[in-house]
Amino acid sequence: MTDRAKFIANVTSALGRTEVIAPPRDESTAAFDDVETARAVADRALADAASNAVELTDRMAEAASTIGWKVHRVSNPENAADIVANICDQKGATSVLRSTHDVLDEINVDAAVTSSGAKLGVTEHSGDNNETKITESKSAAFSADIGITGADYAIAETGTIVLHPRSGLSRLVSLAPPTHIAVLRPTEIIDSLDELFAHERNDHMSGNLAGSMNLISGPSKTADIEGTTVTGIHGPLEVHLIILEND
Amino acid sequence: MPENTPDSPRPERVTLFASCMVDQLATAVGESTVDVLEHLGIEVKFLDDQTCCGQPAFNSGFRSEALPVAKRFIELFEQVSGPIVVPSGSCAAMVRNYYADLFRVDEKMVMRANRVGERLYELSEFISRFFGTDAITGKLTDTATYHKCCHLLREIGVDEEPLEILSNVEGLQMTPLERADVCCGFGGAFSVKMPDISSAILNEKLDNIEANGSNIVIAADIGCVYQMQGGLRRRGSSVQVVHIAEVLAESIRNSNRAVNSE
Amino acid sequence: MKPLTTSFRTKAAETMVDEQVLQSLEHVYTGFFKGRLEAAGNTDNWEELRDKGKAIKDHTIAHLDYYLGQLADNVEKNGGSVFFAADAAEARKYVLDLAHARNIKTVIKSKSMVSEEMALAQALIDDGIEAVETDLGEYIIQLSDETPYHLIAPAVHKSRKEVAELLDDNYVEGDPVPDATELTMMAREKLRGVFERADMSVTGVNFAVAESGSITLVTNEGNGRMSTTVPRVHVAVMGMEKIIPSIQDLSTMLRILIRSATGQRISSYVTMVNGPRKSDEEEGPEEFHLVIMDNGRQKLLADEQMRESLNCIRCGACLNACPVYRKVGGHAYGWVYPGPIGAIVTPVLTGLKDAANLPAASSLCGACHDACPVKINMPRMLLELRYRTAEGKTDKDERTSTTRERTVWKAWRIGMMGRKRFDIGARLSRLFLRPMARNGWLKKAPPPISGWTSTRDFPLVSSSSLKARLNKRSKKAKS
Repeated sequence: MTDRAKFIANVTSALGRTEVIAPPRDESTAAFDDVETARAVADRALADAASNAVELTDRMAEAASTIGWKVHRVSNPENAADIVANICDQKGATSVLRSTHDVLDEINVDAAVTSSGAKLGVTEHSGDNNETKITESKSAAFSADIGITGADYAIAETGTIVLHPRSGLSRLVSLAPPTHIAVLRPTEIIDSLDELFAHERNDHMSGNLAGSMNLISGPSKTADIEGTTVTGIHGPLEVHLIILEND
Repeated sequence: MPENTPDSPRPERVTLFASCMVDQLATAVGESTVDVLEHLGIEVKFLDDQTCCGQPAFNSGFRSEALPVAKRFIELFEQVSGPIVVPSGSCAAMVRNYYADLFRVDEKMVMRANRVGERLYELSEFISRFFGTDAITGKLTDTATYHKCCHLLREIGVDEEPLEILSNVEGLQMTPLERADVCCGFGGAFSVKMPDISSAILNEKLDNIEANGSNIVIAADIGCVYQMQGGLRRRGSSVQVVHIAEVLAESIRNSNRAVNSE
Repeated sequence: MKPLTTSFRTKAAETMVDEQVLQSLEHVYTGFFKGRLEAAGNTDNWEELRDKGKAIKDHTIAHLDYYLGQLADNVEKNGGSVFFAADAAEARKYVLDLAHARNIKTVIKSKSMVSEEMALAQALIDDGIEAVETDLGEYIIQLSDETPYHLIAPAVHKSRKEVAELLDDNYVEGDPVPDATELTMMAREKLRGVFERADMSVTGVNFAVAESGSITLVTNEGNGRMSTTVPRVHVAVMGMEKIIPSIQDLSTMLRILIRSATGQRISSYVTMVNGPRKSDEEEGPEEFHLVIMDNGRQKLLADEQMRESLNCIRCGACLNACPVYRKVGGHAYGWVYPGPIGAIVTPVLTGLKDAANLPAASSLCGACHDACPVKINMPRMLLELRYRTAEGKTDKDERTSTTRERTVWKAWRIGMMGRKRFDIGARLSRLFLRPMARNGWLKKAPPPISGWTSTRDFPLVSSSSLKARLNKRSKKAKS
């Protein structure tokens, strides 16, 4: 018997049974909801978000600010770009890394960064996975002063932005540099964790689950020394959320 | 959790379960309980044969010793009908929440235990449920604070009711105790089996009591009363720890005296 | 980790006279405990969430065999590998063999209690592989060669000065102690280089999702994210019970875990990993391995009275609520898991006979049950374990009670089985004790209650019983 078969057989017998049986439907878990239900739940979440955009934006801004995001609400792309440029100046940034989110093009982030004199890199997949390229992009992330991304979703309940790393959105761009700027559109904001995981489940049920996902809620922090909260232990010390409300 | 509106009909007769500690150590608590109940117009019956609910042995793991004592308890109290009142949250919890576990191999006993348990009440629970927390308007002038005994709070679900009852005692200045709902460290046999830990937990409680500055600490379980009083005495403190039944009984006596002297 | 449960009393006694540690332990109450209360108070449907969390775990554990199979299938479908480890030794061997096979030089570890069961870091180091804890608290205790003190805050017992002595290369006795920010930045710098060069990571798993083969990590520091990003090999180790059936269940479980652990509405980072990196990514591990460990959990599962303990989501709320934990500290419990949950699982997983003091060290106050996000009834299980150590009914080997104890309780039972003897016993004890009493109190009581009077006065038995007094009353009333 394989390790797996033996292991599971032991569990079955600990449960007082002789064979694995499929669990009967239990309302506490969504595991029994089929693909149609998953889609319906996700669609409903999207519809709710669309009709509540203003309220969601206010709640998002409030929740984010409470947990340590520096929140900037702007009504046009130029203002967003100015904020980016200011942050680059303040930090004396020499090297900035960004993802390929559409919203960053909308605010013309490249010009904002280079206007402050910093070098700009984009976390685009180089097309090949050789050792050198991997080491280079890792190095670039670890030596960057600022990382800039958009957001795939944002969660008003918790003040969270959601990123699914992929080609054009590296894992490190929002983690390694000491400052992270996230640019958010109100249409990306959803109500709560329920809606987020409804979307994720729907993605999974339709075969499109992302390789990984990061929920980011404020700066990196720890209270391991005498219970005192300190930001920036391994991830960014400072995180900025620019909400572009230009519709 | 009992609501703050009294259930009807109001009982006219109850059976008192003293608890072994009240019966042989803290008799004043038992007498005060009777005084309070009689003041509410209730006739109190005392079953002479009672001893203990079995909790001490059960909590120490000696279920084979606890079992016959618990069975005896049920056999005795199922002979009377109507409410049973006990001035102890932990004894009430034993009968209502743990007898089923103790009797677990004996379905019939579990049923008999449930039938007794469902009409057994801790004193302040009984007062607030059937008479309302404003039913006793006595008089007692002093500064006091209230410790929330763990079993009454978490097993029986009685939290604010004793405070509400006490708020109707004229002259009694209650101030909240810091960490009132943190254990005093009694835990029955734990207090002698692991006395150093029990005392370490007690010391924190006593520090909070002394910082509070009240003359009296009120609690609803005699084990906790003795744990705290015993510790305060050892510290040379003059703070008195009193069972809620005694506070209420004395407050009633004081008002009666006042009425009589008018 | 080798169990040292027999040292409970000694270690507890050491903590109780250590003012600095007792002071540090206050943080678990003033910080974590109060934080949870506030967060719960601010969550409208808190009780519903707890009930739902409990229902999800009850369901999962009741069908653990099914969900383990589903989890393994889906991890493999995602391109990961699964190893089922019967015990800590097997799990450790798998990780070590893998590290050697992949030519690993540096392993970074994210916080994992299961890896403590495995004593993994030391095993790697002994085998010539650099192994560095990256959670700040774990890093601190790794530097001081200690085991974790708390489930969430492993170095909660350390003073800032002690941390400086461990972390600050330039600190000399007598220097002003750097503040928490300075020390944290030192750790950031030290660990940054380690992150960059790490070629393998070992993380824990907060929740493994069976329907998608996902593993979820909850962190505030970012080391969990680093660990699932920088090295080429990522190994996640989990206890077999850490499964939930559906992705959707995460919204409930994350809410109750995080608010109960620290009082935050959400941690800084929640990371979900669905296998090794995909083809459209340049970063991320090439390989993902999930090690699912039993290490005695089967015993908890098979034991109907104890099965509920497998619902635990390792939030630490019971520790934060426990008046005993706050006085005896984490090391007294002698193994990986401290506090009330530790007092229950450690005896079953490592041996009840040696660990008998753990379930005994409780006043049964119930604060743990109150605090538990999934409503685990810990007092009930503590009582069950006490039953086993007292009487050894299911397993005679588990009985640790002394003849004296058994005799005392036998005598107690005899004394309680009749009113006459109950009264006689009381009056006799008064006769015996009265000469030693002053104003109705004893400064020194004889065994078996002598422990009481070491620190407290004990009341003298009454001169007559309540029965006698009430009978006298009614006689008086009648006359």
